Amino acid sequence: MEIAEAKEKIVEALTKKSKSKSKFYFNDLSEILELKPREAKKLISKLVEDEVLEYWSSGSTTMYGLKGTGKQAAAEHED
Amino acid sequence: MAKHKTPLLDQLESGPWPSFVSDLKQEAAARAKNEKNVEYQISQDVVEDLLGVLELSYKDGTTHWKHGGIVGVFGYGGGVIGRYCDQPGLFPGVAHFHTIRVAQPAGKFYTTEYLKQLCDLWDLRGSGLTNMHGSTGDIILLGTTTPQIEEFFFELTHNMNQDLGGSGSNLRTPADCIGQARCEFACYDTQDLCHTLTNDYQDELHRPAFPYKFKFKFDGCPNCCVASIARSDMSFIGTWKDDIRIDQDAVAGYVKGEFKPNAGAHSGRDWGAFDIQKEVIALCPTECMKYENGKLEIDNKECTRCMHCINVMPRALKPGKETGLSILVGAKAPILDGAQMGSLLVPFVEVNKENGYEEIKEVVEAIWDWWMEEGKNRERLGELMKRQGFQKMLEATNIKPVAQHVQEPRTNPYIFWKEEEVEGGWERDVNEFRKNHLR
Amino acid sequence: MAFISSGYNPDKPMENRITDIGPRHYEEFYPEVIKKNKGKWLYHEILKPGVLVHVAESGDEVYTVRVGGARLMSITHIREICEIADKHCDGHLRFTTRNNIEFMVDDKSKVDALIKDLEARKFDGGSFKFPVGGTGAGITNIVHTQGWVHCHTPATDASGPVKAAMDELFTDFQSMRMPAHVRIALGCCLNMCGAVHCSDIAILGYHRKPPMVDHAYLDKTCEVPLAIAACPTAALKPKKVDLDGTTVNSIEVNKERCMFCGNCYTMCPSLPLSDKEGDGIVLMVGGKVSNRISAPKFSKVVVSFIPNETPRWPSMTAQLRNIVETYAKDARKYERLGEWAERIGWERFFDKTGLEFSHHLIDDFRDPAYYTWRQTTNFKF
Repeated sequence: MEIAEAKEKIVEALTKKSKSKSKFYFNDLSEILELKPREAKKLISKLVEDEVLEYWSSGSTTMYGLKGTGKQAAAEHED
Repeated sequence: MAKHKTPLLDQLESGPWPSFVSDLKQEAAARAKNEKNVEYQISQDVVEDLLGVLELSYKDGTTHWKHGGIVGVFGYGGGVIGRYCDQPGLFPGVAHFHTIRVAQPAGKFYTTEYLKQLCDLWDLRGSGLTNMHGSTGDIILLGTTTPQIEEFFFELTHNMNQDLGGSGSNLRTPADCIGQARCEFACYDTQDLCHTLTNDYQDELHRPAFPYKFKFKFDGCPNCCVASIARSDMSFIGTWKDDIRIDQDAVAGYVKGEFKPNAGAHSGRDWGAFDIQKEVIALCPTECMKYENGKLEIDNKECTRCMHCINVMPRALKPGKETGLSILVGAKAPILDGAQMGSLLVPFVEVNKENGYEEIKEVVEAIWDWWMEEGKNRERLGELMKRQGFQKMLEATNIKPVAQHVQEPRTNPYIFWKEEEVEGGWERDVNEFRKNHLR
Repeated sequence: MAFISSGYNPDKPMENRITDIGPRHYEEFYPEVIKKNKGKWLYHEILKPGVLVHVAESGDEVYTVRVGGARLMSITHIREICEIADKHCDGHLRFTTRNNIEFMVDDKSKVDALIKDLEARKFDGGSFKFPVGGTGAGITNIVHTQGWVHCHTPATDASGPVKAAMDELFTDFQSMRMPAHVRIALGCCLNMCGAVHCSDIAILGYHRKPPMVDHAYLDKTCEVPLAIAACPTAALKPKKVDLDGTTVNSIEVNKERCMFCGNCYTMCPSLPLSDKEGDGIVLMVGGKVSNRISAPKFSKVVVSFIPNETPRWPSMTAQLRNIVETYAKDARKYERLGEWAERIGWERFFDKTGLEFSHHLIDDFRDPAYYTWRQTTNFKF
């Protein structure tokens, strides 16, 4: 899969769900891409580098979201 | 003059054990004085405010920290843990107080040159407070603000040739025991395996694609000084296949009382004269030893390598020469379904530095492939093993089942036979059956 | 203060970026005598508490002086450690898994001066900076977590209870009179970052009150589905709440199902659970990680709750002393605390320690519970 296609799929799927939540597990993303984890990882890492996606971590678990979305950044006065 | 009064914490300054309160106060004073004219990049009284908020916790019995989602530097999904104080008005110096994990060197040896450089960097860009070390093994740097994180990382990598550690759904910074560096028991070079795998798997350490955290720990022998068997998803424990090496003269030395048993570990009490029958032979869990006519004999085939006799008589006994390691998988703390100890997956594998530990990495990667595909969100490897069963893991890793894998065979006969395992398969013709069995 | 740039350009984060370099290579940090004799050590001996000698095939010796350290450590303190290592150890040192610091010298003649120097250094408050000990059949340093210093879900502090415990047990840090090693660990909540679950004695923080729900702010700061998904026991569900005439999205907690882990608070700061009366300490004993003689074991809960008595946790330290003394008096040489308890039987453990047995100590959590009940007529009165 090309990165452009991956970007389109991810942005579309995450935007659709953005009303209820902004953070997703890695597995959710690889399901959206319909790829095996190792293949999906290459594209997802690239999307982070391209500033489409960003990480969010609970310390023990890491999640992914579209850059700049979600409520917590505002709550922490980091925006 | 302290910024906040700390009457409760002050009571932790007395007593012989090193007082973290005294140390915090000393750091607060050093920052206030600033003898080196450091251009502090975060609040100069950050340590004062930390003492203040901690005193408040001692007064009201609750924490004053909130979690934050900041995860690291650009492109990394771990290495930094966000922290915010829930009383930022009272303690503005620690309003934003994020933790940075720095990957510790294998074996935790340091030069002072390195540590001083790290101290200078953390003095400039952070609170000046650390944990040496965190539970997983990293150097933990406690407390800085968001704008400093990238600056810190840039200097850490450019000036110190040093990277961050892991957090979140990553490979966590692997840790090892002192190993062959200074221990006669170590059956392989824990530092080299730890360092090599840490570096070979940097992508797994920094860019999270696992269902949850994953830990490697490396113990040189079954004494398990870094607790790998209890604390790591994949634990590498040194072992051997051949005979324990015996120096009969040294055994005699112990029997005669020339050497202290257990390297002197029990010398704080008079336990009486060393009694090899009682202290070694009788305590051997497999009863595979005897001491007769001044000669120690071990039936090595029956030995399970528990280390007791070697620990008691380190001058006389040594692990064999055909060394390698056992791989155990799935250990974790109790949350959620109860604690799990590592389960034996690979009884023995050679530790082969020359080929870059190919055989070991093959197992690692097979396990990861299985867990990444089958693991549910936030499911540790041990939990996946329980959910899908040990057999599934053997299939995924292509490892042959052996009796060593179990403590005992199953106590129920509910074997989920597969169709291909049953003669003739499962497809049958009911009409044929009816020829001999009336409806 | 003026901002000092490292050279990092926030507009172009990938410019000149160095990544994936890992830790420094361990060999850079080895003292000469270690580098030379690695893999060729013959034997070791503990000369006295905190002092070890390792002898190599070459005849070389390395003398190690082990000292305790608070793992929460300032850079002023680390610089002092460096000063000592520069003075005595050619600029090398090491830390142990249990937060001890090891100073190594390559000649016996250098040991006494090193020890004298270490023992003479005290903090202004009077405590030792570098107490020598932590070897053999004694009580070594406690591995622990962050507690109130830095964590968002602790049910107790970490550094404070550890300081109080090590003050109480200090003579045993500096002696070796125990039947075997006694390993103590502290985790400040049930998530056990400190993985205390296989320690001879585990001090564990525990919450006993479910989270409160801050309905007025929850929807502003949290994403409801994420908070709900964070709960390991499925005790949370979405709920619309009427607040002064407006309906807000919030969460309902099924309090009976809550195991007090705080995972929801991690995802959502509007679900705070820490509480002065609710929070406290659980004591667990009898775990081990070594394979020596018997298989590794998990620690078992023997005291279900001790309140947080700041600043010195006297009830907790008194129980530690009680357990340690009972074990020291009764166990056989080489017998770990858990092996002793299993040999005499847990019913006898409670007799001898005088600890109260209560229904809280009988496992009722999921499948493994069954395997802990007694399924034999063999027990002691």
